[in-house]
Amino acid sequence: MEQAGIRKVQMRRLQGRVHAWFSKPANVILLIFLAALTVLTLYPLLSLLTETFTVHTGREARAAGVSAGSLSLYHFRRLFLTRENDYSYIQFYTPFLNTLIVSVSSSVIAILFGGVVAFLVTRTNLKYKKFISGVFTFPYIMPSWTLALFWETFFKNVQIGLKTSNGIMASVFGIYMPEWFVYGAFPIALVLGLHYAPFAYILIGGILRNMDANLEEAATILKTSRPRIIWKITLPIVKPAMLSTFLLVFASSMSAYSVPVFLGSPVRYYVLSTKMKSLMDSYPGQAYIIVGVMILFGVAILLLNQKVTNSRKQFTTVTGKSGQISKINLGRANRPVAILLVIILLMVAVIPLITFALESVIVKAGDYTLGNMTLDFWIGTGLDKRLDQGDSTGILLNPKVWNALGYSLGLAATCAVVAGTCGILVGYGVAKRRGSRLASWVNSLSFFPYLMPSLAFGAIYLAMSSKVTWLRGFLLLALVGSVKYLPFASRSGVNAMLQLSGEIEEAALITGVPWWKRMLRVIFPIQKSSFLSGYLLPMVSCMRELSLFVLLVPTSNTILTTMLMQYSEKGWAQFGNAINLLIILVVLLVNFIVNKLTGASIDKGVGG
Amino acid sequence: MKKLLSILVVLSLLLTALPAFADVIADVEAGQAMTHDELVAKALAESGTFIVYGNTSRIATAAEEFAALYNINTEANNLKDQEIYTKLRNESGSTAADMVMIQDGAQLTDAIAEGLVINFVPASVKDVLDPADQQPALVHQYINKLFIYNNLGDSVPAIRNVWELTDPAMKGSIIFKNPESEKVNMNFLVMCTKDEWAAKLAEAYKAWKGEDIDLGSYANAGYKWIAEFLDNCTFGKSDTTIAEEISQDTATGKIGLFVLSKLRSSSVLTDNLTVAQYDASASGYAVEPFAGFMYPMYTMVNAKASRPYTGMLFIEYLMTQDGFKPWGKSIGAYSPDPSITVNEGDLTIDVWKNTLVMEDAGYILDSFEVEDFILQHCQN
Amino acid sequence: MPEIKLKNVSKRFGRFVAVDNLNLEIESNAFITLLGPSGCGKTTTLRMIAGLETPTEGSISIDGKVVFDADRGINLPPNKRDVGFLFQNYALWPHMTVYQNIAFGLENLKWDKKRIRERADELLKMLRIEQFESRYPSELSGGQQQRVAIARTLAPGPKVLFMDEPLSNLDAKLRMEMRTELKRLHKDTDSTFVYVTHDQLEAMTLSTRVCIMENGVLQQYAPPLTMYNEPANLFVADFMGNPTMNFVDGEARVNGSTAEVAFGSLHGIFHAAAPIELKTPKCVLGIRPEFVSITEGEGQEASVYSTLPSGMETTVKLDARGTSLTAVVFGGVDYPVDSRVHFAFSGKAILFDRENGGKNVAEGTVELV
Repeated sequence: MEQAGIRKVQMRRLQGRVHAWFSKPANVILLIFLAALTVLTLYPLLSLLTETFTVHTGREARAAGVSAGSLSLYHFRRLFLTRENDYSYIQFYTPFLNTLIVSVSSSVIAILFGGVVAFLVTRTNLKYKKFISGVFTFPYIMPSWTLALFWETFFKNVQIGLKTSNGIMASVFGIYMPEWFVYGAFPIALVLGLHYAPFAYILIGGILRNMDANLEEAATILKTSRPRIIWKITLPIVKPAMLSTFLLVFASSMSAYSVPVFLGSPVRYYVLSTKMKSLMDSYPGQAYIIVGVMILFGVAILLLNQKVTNSRKQFTTVTGKSGQISKINLGRANRPVAILLVIILLMVAVIPLITFALESVIVKAGDYTLGNMTLDFWIGTGLDKRLDQGDSTGILLNPKVWNALGYSLGLAATCAVVAGTCGILVGYGVAKRRGSRLASWVNSLSFFPYLMPSLAFGAIYLAMSSKVTWLRGFLLLALVGSVKYLPFASRSGVNAMLQLSGEIEEAALITGVPWWKRMLRVIFPIQKSSFLSGYLLPMVSCMRELSLFVLLVPTSNTILTTMLMQYSEKGWAQFGNAINLLIILVVLLVNFIVNKLTGASIDKGVGG
Repeated sequence: MKKLLSILVVLSLLLTALPAFADVIADVEAGQAMTHDELVAKALAESGTFIVYGNTSRIATAAEEFAALYNINTEANNLKDQEIYTKLRNESGSTAADMVMIQDGAQLTDAIAEGLVINFVPASVKDVLDPADQQPALVHQYINKLFIYNNLGDSVPAIRNVWELTDPAMKGSIIFKNPESEKVNMNFLVMCTKDEWAAKLAEAYKAWKGEDIDLGSYANAGYKWIAEFLDNCTFGKSDTTIAEEISQDTATGKIGLFVLSKLRSSSVLTDNLTVAQYDASASGYAVEPFAGFMYPMYTMVNAKASRPYTGMLFIEYLMTQDGFKPWGKSIGAYSPDPSITVNEGDLTIDVWKNTLVMEDAGYILDSFEVEDFILQHCQN
Repeated sequence: MPEIKLKNVSKRFGRFVAVDNLNLEIESNAFITLLGPSGCGKTTTLRMIAGLETPTEGSISIDGKVVFDADRGINLPPNKRDVGFLFQNYALWPHMTVYQNIAFGLENLKWDKKRIRERADELLKMLRIEQFESRYPSELSGGQQQRVAIARTLAPGPKVLFMDEPLSNLDAKLRMEMRTELKRLHKDTDSTFVYVTHDQLEAMTLSTRVCIMENGVLQQYAPPLTMYNEPANLFVADFMGNPTMNFVDGEARVNGSTAEVAFGSLHGIFHAAAPIELKTPKCVLGIRPEFVSITEGEGQEASVYSTLPSGMETTVKLDARGTSLTAVVFGGVDYPVDSRVHFAFSGKAILFDRENGGKNVAEGTVELV
């Protein structure tokens, strides 16, 4: 009898605890996201893992000498341990080494370039700051290969690469750049580094801006020299931001595909992502192993990053209230430095746009005389008859282009809304239950899609969708885009929520404001610009994404990027360039409008 | 009672609308025996947008004209061959393709075995075409990639023998597409190692050098040629880029191996280019032992098609004179139908068949080790 | 009838015990202070009563209504407990004006517009912030923000008001001013205040009862003066009062209600009112600085280590042959450093057990010999 009573009490206690646990929205949110993200990110990972052991039909089964569908270590043996014809060396070890070289260098370049500019903008009296900081995020907004394409067309010459034509550098200035400068590891790393430098600029700049000037002033009073202060005080403080940048840039560079193809293939320089793509065709098992290796690398850096940022030297004082920051006077170096930066930014952010505009109006390649120019590719009609190529109308008169633009915008907006909202919710849950295991799981899971190469991510989702009949078309694209870009949104969500004291919400809770109203009326308005930035980044990335969607679009006219790809496949370079310019302009416009209306900007999204 | 019956009919229609692959096989079998009018009737009874995947850009034009002709809502997609295979494997339902036009006979053979696609030979061409062009898949056209060079300057590489391309002096003057990125290129190289072509290459070597070939460690002349050819090659991104680049005024001395049909592009300075084979044959010669290679473009019905009859009708249309027009209007595409003649200035398919390396899916599929050898020579 | 009752309340975060088996009764209309060093569990206790934190064990009732009971699975959300909460950082909503901050909670309680207006006006007037009605929090000074936070908290008219170190962000002068206001507010609103602070002076001056905690354990729960004069143990004695009590380690030989005590260089006889219960001779003698009087030529000799005159009173640090003592004398006297003075223990002294958690074992007087 007594025991029954005890059991009853225990039961009630449990019920009470469960009820209390579930009455906290943060717990429910985390639980839902744990479940959803497990399905959406761990499942792909798992299916990827099984693919590496499965023998697929066709060449793979024939080469392995076993029946399709059976499990085998064949792919591993073949990719890692085949000496014949230097197979493993060619397919894995060399590209692996190249990937390491390129990814590490691009991370270093991004950190150096972005970091130095961030320092100059936040800590010195540099001239033209407004222009520099305004244009600095351009390279990120543009697809990375636009810069690669520009690099090639600008520097190519008849002594290197295909050795067939001269770019502007050679034809106008008569300067013939050496091959290593135009093709191979150096330009790949440089282009990727420049493309991702905004990450460094935003993350490091954010810390430098908020850094308590007292920290440096204390050292100044102790008669430390400027360089020494920067080396001993400033650098260690921005170290965590540098490491985060390293993680982001490394993972992105590793899975970058188009840049190595553009700048690597003329000199037969291959990286893992290009090998993965070509293996995916006939030997998917080996391709998935390469994806696995890339993910492992990403995870390793992620863990390293966490270890460093969780170490004893926590820089909690960094975001204290900052007094007046003493700005370094650049003196006579000011103007030269500023002009140099402006020139570099013009080169990487503005001139490519002009190039695309030019390329979209000339008829015969390489001939930039006025007689060879036409606006036909933008607004012409009856083109197929006249040019025997391309669509019948210029892109602005082509309903297919407008449809694709509408679809792209709709898709980008949907992904932005879903990813952005989920990012806020994840941020809320993680910040509220900070330190709990559940929160750190959800936090890591929500970052995970970042480490998955887009192409493989798309391929896995395509395979997944073949088993789920309702997952088709727009729904599928929106789901994939939302999951893939969740990392951006959850990062900014977590950052924004961590800045918000819990009391702000509790003050509303105590008067009985329901949860949804607390989110909508209290939390969201306060961190509006940070949250909106969390919407903007997925939007921008989605608009210019190709490899993620290429296998999933219902038709190739569905979105602008696949349309662009199709046009360049067909060799309709002018249409392609025009569409490319259209994409970039639309993204810049969206970015500009959102920024003007709400104050949100990409930098706030990453930097928090 | 009538109501109940109609409900049953609707239900059964709904059920049959679900993808049932066995039905498509049966449909195609039925379709083979149908007349044109029967096919049209069946096709018009199908609903929804008719979807086509093709790895030639001009499929869009053909689809547009087909759509106008039969008033069928049609959506044509130009995809890379690998993307098509991936999509065939994973897609189903009404957004999946009904019909595909695709290259790479080796992979296609596998796809047929896997049951991804079904061969359909319309009754209209059954007796017209060479049986070899009807099995394992219907050939819609042949496409050739030829040695084409820049004809400016003093060092014009007007080759008469492919061994000229292995001359160390040619290093960096040959532009080809990376065989890894488009399988038909790989297939061509693999074919060079087949006994038949290896023997011809050995013969050509002798004609070029005046002495017997010294194979060294190479298994046959094909391997030797591949190795030395690839060592001299630079890889371009796409056939379009290669054509454009070689046609530049500054590209003297450069030669490429790319699709003849690229000469139609307005961005290519056609006057600067000469097709090696044309030049040779103009003076009564030929490029020994081959002037390039040729591969078929196939049309097939997707085994998961929702609109199989429209697919079949489209295939039937493509095989007609009108259906071939988008390709046939310029050089570089050849119908297997003898009644469809080639463009003026182009050579006939029979000539090409004898001067170009053709795909042999069976040999290619058994030679994955040759691919490894080729990959090895795609490195620096 | 007691207004708030905590029974065997514990809170554990994983292995860390934040609050350990706390029993507390807070009477209606009381002004209770939860006092202790940071991390002692006082804020957690407050948040548990308010419902912002869920206890691991025990039960809590407010005004006779059980709001939490682990055994019965009862757990009312904060808004059902009819309480107000004043946060340390005010937690004003930066995107709302002063008026909106006050009105938002009321709108949510479905008050009609007119009533909200009236109530807000009443509070704005009461806290003298009428002129800031349409300003945003960032446009206000710390003290003004504090008043807005108070107005917002009081708006729904909660029966119980919780305050978590509300004055800690203010400067010394404002803090003094706000203390007076809070005490006045307590009277005017006629509700129960539960106040968390680590400032003993605040606790002394404001509250009707103080609950002092250390490491999650209740040390003493008593009116402030009782706590000052009769601290339950060394911790409480040390925490209450500024300058702090003098503590001298010593050895005691107990004889009924008197004990011979040897501490440092000094000897004395301790006279207690009741028998002294000391298990071992190890003890600590505690004496408040105001009971160390500096005399003219009488008593023990000591040298002046330093003098800290503050006008109204002077704190003198003495070195009595190696034993350091603090004395407070009335008025501003500046003793030269290292000068010789005499002193005596004039008032109440306390004997603490050095072993047994520093328990207060006897209160009485010490006669130095």
